[in-house]
Amino acid sequence: MIQLRGITKIYATGKVTTPALLGVDLDMARGDFAAIMGPSGSGKSTVMHIMGLLDRPTDGSYLLEGQEVTGLSDDGLAALRNQRMGFVFQSFHLLPTATALKNVLLPFVYSPRYPADAEERGRRALTAVGLEHRLHHRPGELSGGECQRVAVARALVTDPEVIFADEPTGNLDRRSTYEVMAILQRLNRDEGKTVVLVTHDNHVGEMCRRVVRLVYGRIESDTVAPQPLDAIALLAALPPREEDRR
Amino acid sequence: MNRLWRMAVQALRSLWAERGYAALMMIGLVIGISSVTVIYEMGEGVRSQVVSMMSSMGFGADAFFVASGNRRAGFRRGGAARVLTDKDLSEISRLVNVDLVVPQLSISRDRVSAGARHTITGISGVDIHYAASRRWDIAQGRFLVEADNRDKRRVAVLGASTAQELFPEGSPLGRPIRIGTSPFLVVGVLAAKGFAPSGHDRDDRVLVPLSTAQRRLSKEDKFTAARVNLVDTGQVSETVEEVREILRANHRLGPEVPDDFTIVTPDSILQMVTRQSQAMVAMLTFIATVSLFVSGIVIMNIMLVAVSERAHEIGVRRAVGATRRDVMAQILMESLLVALLGGLCGLGLGMLLSRGIGAGLGLPVAFSLPGFGLSFLFSAGVGLIFGVFPARRAANLEPVECLR
Repeated sequence: MIQLRGITKIYATGKVTTPALLGVDLDMARGDFAAIMGPSGSGKSTVMHIMGLLDRPTDGSYLLEGQEVTGLSDDGLAALRNQRMGFVFQSFHLLPTATALKNVLLPFVYSPRYPADAEERGRRALTAVGLEHRLHHRPGELSGGECQRVAVARALVTDPEVIFADEPTGNLDRRSTYEVMAILQRLNRDEGKTVVLVTHDNHVGEMCRRVVRLVYGRIESDTVAPQPLDAIALLAALPPREEDRR
Repeated sequence: MNRLWRMAVQALRSLWAERGYAALMMIGLVIGISSVTVIYEMGEGVRSQVVSMMSSMGFGADAFFVASGNRRAGFRRGGAARVLTDKDLSEISRLVNVDLVVPQLSISRDRVSAGARHTITGISGVDIHYAASRRWDIAQGRFLVEADNRDKRRVAVLGASTAQELFPEGSPLGRPIRIGTSPFLVVGVLAAKGFAPSGHDRDDRVLVPLSTAQRRLSKEDKFTAARVNLVDTGQVSETVEEVREILRANHRLGPEVPDDFTIVTPDSILQMVTRQSQAMVAMLTFIATVSLFVSGIVIMNIMLVAVSERAHEIGVRRAVGATRRDVMAQILMESLLVALLGGLCGLGLGMLLSRGIGAGLGLPVAFSLPGFGLSFLFSAGVGLIFGVFPARRAANLEPVECLR
C-alpha cells in the first residue's frame, strides 16, 4: 500500500543542515502492524510524518496505492489525510473545549461533505474504544488512557485504511498502554486496518507483528515476529485495579 | 452555507473558551463603536429636528426661499432696490425647473388695534397657498381665499397670540381691527404653534392678502420674499444659480457687488446646523478612529498569541484534513466574530449613552441607520483587516512543527 523509495529528509536551519533520513526504502502492506523503533534522532518520527503526509521528503519517491504523492499540493495532501489516514499522537491533542464526541467528529468538519450520520458514526467509534459512557465528557474530565482512546476513536471515525500513531503510549501507564494497544490490535486483526506506530518502548514493540529499526536515518533491521504479544492477555494478567477490588 | 455556519459555531466556542482574551479584544471596539453611535444618533436627532422645523415652515426638499436683503453683505431688507419685483418673480416663474413662485410681503412691525386694545406685531401679505405650505391649521373661521387677493379685500387672519391679545373675550371673527390706520375685518384665527426654538412667538402675527398689503400697507408693487417650488428637486443648485443670475441682472449689480438678496435652500440650513456641531463630531470621530485602530492592533496581537498558544490545535486540524485555507478561515472567522460582537456591544452601549445624554441635555436623539451600518462595517472591517496577519501566520504553520 505504501512504498517509500530513497526517501531523504534534510532539515536546513540557517547555515546548518541536519540530515534526518538518508535514503529510506520501506514498504507497508495492507494489514501490516508495524512498529518503527530506534534511538532518538534516528528519524523514526520523520519517517512516520512523511508516510502520514504531514511532512514532505527532501528527495525520494512515495507511492500511496501506486500513486506518487510527493508532488501533490498541500490541499491534495490534506484531502488524502482526511479520507485515507487516521492519526494518534503522544500527547493526545484533543480540543480541550470540545466533548469527546465533538473531538471525534473533527475530521468530518474537513470532509468534502459533512455526513448526515456523522454523530452516529462518532458514537460507534467511541463505543469501539469502550467509551460509550464518556460521549459528553471533556478531555479535562477524562483520564490519560481515556483521552488517548478518544484520540483513537477520532483516528478511526472516517474509516481510514491506515492509522499512524506517534508514541501513542508514551504518556500512559501500563494498564492504559495495554488498553490502547488492545484496541489497535483488534482494529488490525478484525477490520484489517494497517497500523504504523512509532515507539521507543521495546515492550510495545513486542506487541507488533513487524518491527522496523532505524539508526542515523537508515533502516538497520526489519523483522517480523511470528507471535507478537497479545495486549488483551497482558491486560488480563495485570493485578486488579484498586477501584475494581473494592 | 452549512460549512460556514459550523465554522461560526466553532469560532464562537473558541472565543467562549478564551473569554478573557475575547473581552480584552472587544473593549477597544466597544469604546470606538459606542462613540460612533453617539455621534450619529445625536447628529441624526438634531438633523431630524431641523428637518421637522423646516417642514413646519413649508420648507421641504422641493423648494427654496428667496428673500430680499443680504444681512451678511450689509443690505437691509426693503431699502430702495432691496426688494423683489413683479418682474423678478415672473422671470423666475418662467424657469423650466420652477413649478410655482409663492410671493410674500413682510411689513415692518406695526401697531394693530381693536377698540381700546392694541399690540405691536409683524404683518405679512401672503398668498392663498401660504397656510397649506407652512402647515398652519385654522382654529376659527377661514383662511384667505382667491377672492380676497383678487379684490384686495381688507380682511385679516390672526395668529393665536395676537387674537388672544386683541380679543381676550369672545370670538374675534367678524370683528374690525386697524393695522396702522387702515381698517380690516377678522375672518379667521390660526391654530397655535407655540414658540420657535429661537424663542420667538410664532403665534404673534397678522396675515392679510398680498394684494391688499401692497395697496394699503407697503404702497409698492413689491415683495420681500418668495418661496420657489421646484419641478425636479435633483436640480436645486442649478436653479438657484439661474435665479441668482436673473436677480443680479434685474437689480443691476456689478460683478464686484455682493448679492442684495439671500437664497436659502434646505441644504444651506442643514449645512449651517452641521457646521455648528462639526467640532464635536470631529473630536468624537477622532476618538472613535483612534480606538478602532487601537482595538485592531489589540485584536491582532491577541490573535497572534492565541495562534501560537493553539499551535497544537492547528496541527491536529491540519492532520485530520484541514487545508491552509480552512485554518486561515477559522482564525479570520474568530477575529471577525469577536469584532462584530464588540461592535454590537458598542452599539448597545452607544444607544444607551446617547439616550442618556439626550435626556440630560434635552437634545433629541434618533436611531441612525447609516450610523448602524457604519458601526457594523467598521467592526467587521477591523476584525477582518487585523485578523489577516494572525490568520496567515496560522495558515503557514507546518503541521509537523505544530504537533511537536
